[in-house]
Amino acid sequence: MSAIATPLRTSRAWRPAVGQRPARRPRPAVRPGRVMAWVAVTVVIVATVFPFFWMVRTAFTPAAGLIEEAGRLWPTDPTLVNFRRVLGLTSVEESVAAGGTGAAIDFVRYTANSLLYAGSVAVIQTLSCAAAAYAFARLHFRGRDALFGLVLAGLMVPGIFTLLPNFALMRELGLLNTMVGLVAPALLMSPFTIFFLRQFFLSLPTDVEGAAMLDGVGSLGRFWRIALPMSRGPLATMMLITLVGMWKDYLWPLVAGSSPETRVLTVALGVFQQQSPNTAPDWTGLMAGATLSVVPVLLLLVLLGRQLVQSLNFSGGK
Amino acid sequence: MKRTKALAALGAASLLALSACSSGTGGDDAAGEAVTIDYWLWDDTQLPLYQQCADDFHELNPEITVTLTQTGWAQYWQNLSTQITAGTAPDVFTNQISYYLQFVQNGQLLDLTDPVEASDVDLAAFKEGLADRWVFEGKRYGLPKDWDTVALLYDTEVAKEAGFSAEQMSALTWNPDDGGTFEELVRAMSLDSAGRTGLDPAYDKDDVVRYGYYPEWADGAVGQNGWGNFAHSAGFTYSDDEGAPTSFNFDSAPLVETAGWLQTLIEDGYAPPFDEQSTLGTEAVMTSGKAASTITGSWTASTYLAEDVPVDFAFAQVPEGPQGRTAATNGLADSVWAGTEHPDQASAWVEYLASPACQDTVGEAGLVFPALNSGTEAALAAREEQGLDSSAFVGVADAGEIFAVPAFNNAAEVNAAVQDAMQAIAQGADPAERLGEANDAVESLFE
Amino acid sequence: MTRAMTVDLSRRSTPAVPRLRRADKWAAAVLLFPALLGFVLFYLYPTVRGVYYSMTDFNLLKDPGFVGAENFRTLVADPQVWTSLRITAVFALGNLVVMLVLALGLAALMQRLRLRTWVRSLLLLPWLVPNVAIALIWGWLLDANVGFLKNLLDSIGIEGVTFYNPDAALWIVVGISVWSGLGYTALLLYAGMLQVPAELYEAAALDGASETRMFFRLTLPLIRPVLALVLVVSLIGSFQVFDLVQVGYGNNPIPEVRVIYYYIYQQAFAFYKMGYASAIAILLVVILGVLTYVQMRLMRANRSDLS
Repeated sequence: MSAIATPLRTSRAWRPAVGQRPARRPRPAVRPGRVMAWVAVTVVIVATVFPFFWMVRTAFTPAAGLIEEAGRLWPTDPTLVNFRRVLGLTSVEESVAAGGTGAAIDFVRYTANSLLYAGSVAVIQTLSCAAAAYAFARLHFRGRDALFGLVLAGLMVPGIFTLLPNFALMRELGLLNTMVGLVAPALLMSPFTIFFLRQFFLSLPTDVEGAAMLDGVGSLGRFWRIALPMSRGPLATMMLITLVGMWKDYLWPLVAGSSPETRVLTVALGVFQQQSPNTAPDWTGLMAGATLSVVPVLLLLVLLGRQLVQSLNFSGGK
Repeated sequence: MKRTKALAALGAASLLALSACSSGTGGDDAAGEAVTIDYWLWDDTQLPLYQQCADDFHELNPEITVTLTQTGWAQYWQNLSTQITAGTAPDVFTNQISYYLQFVQNGQLLDLTDPVEASDVDLAAFKEGLADRWVFEGKRYGLPKDWDTVALLYDTEVAKEAGFSAEQMSALTWNPDDGGTFEELVRAMSLDSAGRTGLDPAYDKDDVVRYGYYPEWADGAVGQNGWGNFAHSAGFTYSDDEGAPTSFNFDSAPLVETAGWLQTLIEDGYAPPFDEQSTLGTEAVMTSGKAASTITGSWTASTYLAEDVPVDFAFAQVPEGPQGRTAATNGLADSVWAGTEHPDQASAWVEYLASPACQDTVGEAGLVFPALNSGTEAALAAREEQGLDSSAFVGVADAGEIFAVPAFNNAAEVNAAVQDAMQAIAQGADPAERLGEANDAVESLFE
Repeated sequence: MTRAMTVDLSRRSTPAVPRLRRADKWAAAVLLFPALLGFVLFYLYPTVRGVYYSMTDFNLLKDPGFVGAENFRTLVADPQVWTSLRITAVFALGNLVVMLVLALGLAALMQRLRLRTWVRSLLLLPWLVPNVAIALIWGWLLDANVGFLKNLLDSIGIEGVTFYNPDAALWIVVGISVWSGLGYTALLLYAGMLQVPAELYEAAALDGASETRMFFRLTLPLIRPVLALVLVVSLIGSFQVFDLVQVGYGNNPIPEVRVIYYYIYQQAFAFYKMGYASAIAILLVVILGVLTYVQMRLMRANRSDLS
């Protein structure tokens, strides 16, 4: 079993896959096959990037040029007005003239909400699950395996099934449209994260912990002072993957927190779309909004791209 | 002009902010604390008008601030439902007759009977019949906002080329069998890329540059902007029930035949295929000259008749069917959500929306016909001044050649079921079969 | 796609840890408390409640009334439920097959060409962008009248690639979904390929095996576990598709793309039928349960020949 589920065999702590050279065949000389391969990769890269280019291009297009210049790669008369109106920096009249309705996205606020939503869940959920995973991996107590099995069963439950009662619960508690209510269902627990980290703890060598135990370090101390520091890599992996997942989350924030105070960026985009004029979709405004929403992701990719790719190598390869 | 208004509003707002602060420290119990009322509407073109009303209202009632939210029609009702289930619906929202019973049914609308009686709202000042439509089982759930009716919008140049004068346009006939003179018009206005009209036997339906008629398919269970008008003129009624209906006629012959006729328009290339027309919206298609006629509401007249529109449009009365001429008429109202935390302030805002102060303001823009007679007069005067001819709308209303958009329970589901059926028919499904299924589905909601 | 990883139930026992003598119980309680609190409050309790709702006429606005198996009877007779499930299954399978084939090819290319990290991270971009934005971008590219890509395809003879073409709509959603998950899936598979020892390739090359032959005879069998994992997890993820459809169609998807998640959402939040929506959700739980079971079996049946 060499999927992620497999414990690491190395006796060192988790090591990123950076230095690891890909399994490699003897390097062939330039051959037609290789040229074809590069062509194929180029096609994939262009197909990946082009829609984003088109999004940016449209965001700079004046509404009037939308139809006339539909086939041009770059507008003859690029404008910032779409960004300005999406950010609410124009008057309603100016916005309407540019094809909108005066609707705007409070970008800073919703990005902050998104970061708070995704960030707090990523950090707290990972730590909370790490603690549980450690208990499942290392400690002995009655009913452990049964309890673990029950937690794993949570993997099977589709989000929408718990979403309905969770929505009703938050409604009763008056926590709809509050940050607390928004993060609560995901904050402490993810069956998958527990599972993943438990597998990792199982793979950790026991000698250090054994020595610490002989020195009289208790279970909690061993978790906190030995196991956690040794698992920085997997913890970072889980946090990143959770962060991305929560950043993209839409359905729960849509139903449980779409008021402006707790609106996250994904929901804000959806709401903005629905504020299109009745007569026609506001494509230039929508693309400006979408562009703005991609900016944080691009930053993440530039800053953490390497780490992200390695995380996936780790999660997929090991 | 706009700038001074904005400045004035800004000045007023800052003054109000100041006074709010001072009254807060004063601890005056009578003044009441600052309250914010959320108000929803779907028509983006009217947004500035209601912002004006909200500003004026705030000036009169400094402790109440009204925030407006606009959501496109296509999403409006589902959004509202979601917010109602979340317990975070707007305090006041624009209501439409075909939807309001479902909110009443679920206890989501505030009974406005007492507040309205206590206020100085004069129900007799509204256009006849409008105020009564919002009373269900003796309780009032809304105050009339505006009314509308529909007419045939057409490209005057194209119609003239097709040999139809303005007089002929207002005397069109229609029937579901051969389409009457209306179908002749539609065919004559259709054009393929070789310059042949739809009357030419060689007309290439696969290479059309201009469609003679643009049918609206996203039209719920009402067909207000298209099929409903034709079907009614052929004898269709939504239901035979009094009050809130539980049995329906969506499978009856007049509607099935009407739907079948519309389907042949698409098949013969006189109307655009369903998928081609769904994203741009009626306005873009009409103003780009891709279609020469459509049925649309009085609330769009200013858009189409504005000076900067590249096409010279005019409105004619909807064609006369076998059972006479019937144009859909509808009334909107403002309602208060039962879950509001500020029922008094919300009612006050609704009353203000129904007052001459607001409705005349809205009317003066000429975009819609406010429910108050004075408002409608203001709108008609404004349109005359702008050179917009409203006779096609007012004419049918005055002549009583209208049918009212129906009110029913479970509106969201009824609308979805019938709209799905009509859209399937637009894509070639069998009209009798699809409408039969839809009617069964709708009636099963009321068992 | 959701997280492409999975459960290994085969591994229940703990490796030899020195037997712990002290109060493990209390330490375990402390460590487990936060996660279990979350589990009980937001998994267990809602599950129980969801089952209860499925037997009521709960509409969120009034107190629930018990209706027994009524919702399930309605469900069985509701053609839209089965239509939605069929649409969802077609989406899931289509997504899976197309994605897997393309991702395998891309991963093989990555392995072959040793793409730099920044190129690989570029391929991750669509995976990082929320489906809401993706739906908007593609809705615009494929706009029936002025969509750039739609017109491009038209001009090379591929007509009707628009959101509102009932024959193409579902496949377009599949295509967008594949596009957004391709880089991510390929990277996972590539990571699996990294595990294949280079000596095997060297030996095969000495035997004169062709590239293609090595791919099918060596790479593919050896990455079977990752493959099985990606396969099943993305299948389950595909059953939960919602954002693309809801936003792509401005909250009004045409019937051909009304997936089961959308139908449940619509019943609960537009038609006020929380009870009925819960009943459909239970049906989905059962289906996903079966899929998960199959997944477990597959995983066990597909140990890599390496381990």
